[in-house]
Amino acid sequence: MGKGAVRMTARAELRRYERQVMIEGFGGKGQERLRKAKVVVAGAGGLGSVISIYLAVAGVGKIRLIDHDRVELGNLNRQVLYGDDDIGRAKVDSAREKLASLNPEVMVEAVRETITEGSAFELVDGCDLIVDAMDNFGARYILNKVAIDRGIPFFHGAVRGFEGRATTIVPGQTACLRCVYARAPQPEAAPVIGVAPAVIGSIQATEVIKYIVGIGELLMNRLLIYDGLSLEFMEMKLKRRPDCEECQHLIGGTE
Amino acid sequence: MSVKVRLHPYLRKCTDGRREVEVAGQTVGECIDDLEARFPGIKRQLCDERGKLLAKCDIHVNGRSSYPEELAKPVEDGDELTIVTFVAEG
Repeated sequence: MGKGAVRMTARAELRRYERQVMIEGFGGKGQERLRKAKVVVAGAGGLGSVISIYLAVAGVGKIRLIDHDRVELGNLNRQVLYGDDDIGRAKVDSAREKLASLNPEVMVEAVRETITEGSAFELVDGCDLIVDAMDNFGARYILNKVAIDRGIPFFHGAVRGFEGRATTIVPGQTACLRCVYARAPQPEAAPVIGVAPAVIGSIQATEVIKYIVGIGELLMNRLLIYDGLSLEFMEMKLKRRPDCEECQHLIGGTE
Repeated sequence: MSVKVRLHPYLRKCTDGRREVEVAGQTVGECIDDLEARFPGIKRQLCDERGKLLAKCDIHVNGRSSYPEELAKPVEDGDELTIVTFVAEG
């Protein structure tokens, strides 16, 4: 785990982020919040590539990137953290180098582990939020449970073909992943083109940045349904399931 | 008795491109049968030959998953069904 970030001079830091600090409601305070944030990005595939790149260049202080895989040729149509030279390397090692070159101020913890019921709680220890960049619902349900237990937000995203979904889960305030998807199909190797995780990963990173900085309106209790082929965004208002096996004990919180 | 059905893009080839249609029924299953009566062939996109909901389909009633026994779930006048597919890749 871990590689020390290089702290730039205050002047260089100011210059790097000047265009985003100009955004109304963002300012130096927002940038400082980003610098202090500790974020888990669970998965370093198509979504994880886009999410970690944009969180890194935005100046999120600590990114813990978790993935057990090695880079394969068949990943390169969508996993933009990697190139041909990375084939065969552990994804998180290649990712850490790439992210450090994009922004040396960010501390990237590369964790080559599988997310299981046994490992998940420890893997998110000390972090403020979890971003879902997984490729299967088994791991997503585990992360959803950990987020509920820790009372930290969980930023869901998933893709297939030209399509994608996203929602922001805040335990006690929103429907959780189990409320939205009480069941899920068996994992399979599904078609994906890189522009789908580019759209959905950017939306997840947008939500994370807004949450940390404290601006805008989050995608809470709303499932965003994106279809690149018809190029449309559909939205579905979500409601908590009173009998949800994961979050029913939190009922009474604001919906 | 009218229930609004919002359709995932893959189903719109059966509805002449319409994104939303009004149907009638007391349950989700009856609404799908009415949908089939209006747009023949659409049910086969949602259910197998025995009439069981396909694993890839996910039906929400007013923003709540209709799981389990989705097709037996009662609906009321003014309810909104949203039919989408599961998407799981990362």
